[in-house]
Amino acid sequence: MKSLTAIALVLLVALLSPSGANAGGPFGPPQPSAKEAGGLHTGIGYWLQEDQYKDGSEQVMRQNQVYSELGYGSGKSWEITARVGMSDLNLPDAFSSSTPATSTSKRDFQEHWKFFGTAGAKGFHPFNQTFGMGVFIQGTYYFSDFSDNVSGNRNGVPFSADLAVRKLWDVNFGAGFQATLLRNVKLYAGPYVHYAEFKAVPSSNVTGIALVSGETTLKNKTAWGGFAGIELPLAMGFSLNMEGQFSERFSFGGSILYAY
Amino acid sequence: MKALSFPALIIFFLLSGCAHGPDTAVSPAAPAAPPQTRQVTAVPDSAKIPPEPPVKSSATETDLYGDIQGPEVDYGNTEIPGKAGGETTGEIADPLEPFNRAMYQFNDRLYFWVLKPVAQGYGKVVPETARVSVSNFFTNAAFPIRFVNCLLQANFSGAAEELGRFTVNTLWGVGGLLDPASSKEINLTKQDEDFGQTLGTYGLGQGFFINWPLLGPSSPRDTVGMVGDLFLTPSTYFSPWYAVAGIRAYEKVNSTSLKIGDYESLKEAAIDPYVAVRDAYIQYRLKKVHRQGGLSPGEKPAAPLN
Repeated sequence: MKSLTAIALVLLVALLSPSGANAGGPFGPPQPSAKEAGGLHTGIGYWLQEDQYKDGSEQVMRQNQVYSELGYGSGKSWEITARVGMSDLNLPDAFSSSTPATSTSKRDFQEHWKFFGTAGAKGFHPFNQTFGMGVFIQGTYYFSDFSDNVSGNRNGVPFSADLAVRKLWDVNFGAGFQATLLRNVKLYAGPYVHYAEFKAVPSSNVTGIALVSGETTLKNKTAWGGFAGIELPLAMGFSLNMEGQFSERFSFGGSILYAY
Repeated sequence: MKALSFPALIIFFLLSGCAHGPDTAVSPAAPAAPPQTRQVTAVPDSAKIPPEPPVKSSATETDLYGDIQGPEVDYGNTEIPGKAGGETTGEIADPLEPFNRAMYQFNDRLYFWVLKPVAQGYGKVVPETARVSVSNFFTNAAFPIRFVNCLLQANFSGAAEELGRFTVNTLWGVGGLLDPASSKEINLTKQDEDFGQTLGTYGLGQGFFINWPLLGPSSPRDTVGMVGDLFLTPSTYFSPWYAVAGIRAYEKVNSTSLKIGDYESLKEAAIDPYVAVRDAYIQYRLKKVHRQGGLSPGEKPAAPLN
């Protein structure tokens, strides 16, 4: 009964949590991916990240991430994980002008693959053979800046400006509930809190384009989110993890893991 | 003129002495196989080389210590049914024995005076798990050699297995540092193939024994194979040249640190270590040519890092 109450509470928070959160990749099931005896797990994955940032104006960010993951821990209690990957960055309408006096050659900020790193830790407490609950913390940092160039006309005068997205990072903390079904299929869901920011640094100021009007620090619009996923055991020690994170924007992805 | 005679001799043997027998490959290090108690057909002591040109090796009997009981040095074409080519006996001519012995001494000193102390120091600083991971990485990076040679030997299942190993170890083995492909569950066997073996399967004999400075025991065929392998080694294409040399040296130090004692054991067990090393090398290469991919019966797979 006690566990059911906890489950209900977690699900309630997850479903009712306000949207707008961001994250740098999947959190995975609360129960660590390592074998019960303990050991390493590795994985590769893809994650489509969408998020909304604000600093006066609002800005959507979209990223395709591919990564390799390495974790170490004990199957039933804890695990630490590190990921290294590459990601692109798309800021739709980042170069759109809000005034008719300014016209630009393109609307979107786009930059290709840059390296990022993610580190995380999780702890898990099983209630019984089927249900369990865990907490996690996970942070991501981008080692390189993203940059793009825009040109156009302002009152008939041509201009060209570079925009750099610097120091993009995030940190997430959350709790998840897990149900283990037949054949060790794991379903999980939970809420999380989140903080993310980056600096937009233009090479020159262009009136009418929000992100190119002086250096700004954008932060995630809201701090709460919910996530849900499934982990399916495959053959030969592999497993497939698919997860979605719900917010104003929906992020999702999948990874294939191998436990040593 | 004298300076030209040695290369000319090598070219001569390369061209004329490869149509028969023994094995392949190039293993620059101390022999990986245990010493065999007999086998070497070659003459262990240059003083005992018969002055006459090659004689049939059928009557040749050489024990581990090189006591030849019959005339030797067959450059010949002893075709013995093997995997594909003509290699079946572990006998090899050794017309360059004085040079080979000198190079053996040079390599021996190099090992005991430089390589071993460096490897021991390295081994004390770096934990074995990390060294095994480094070894796994270099093995994984040498995938093109194994893959291409499986294809050249028409060993398509072996090529597929190698491709699978490379994929699994690169993606789930942290770029090859770990070796999940060798685990019980996945069980993809490493296909230990190289160009020397490929030439062997095509029927090309070893020719004669040659001991290269730094590189160690080899044969004309294996030397040619080694050049072929170089083209498929990714680190060859790094620049500048000393980066390549540094990588190779580090790889050598790392691998030596994982097998200190092997060469010493072989040396201690032999009265004439040169003959023992030569014998072990020839047997080792013969064995590799005669199997097709994977492991020979009784051969132990490398332990995966768990």
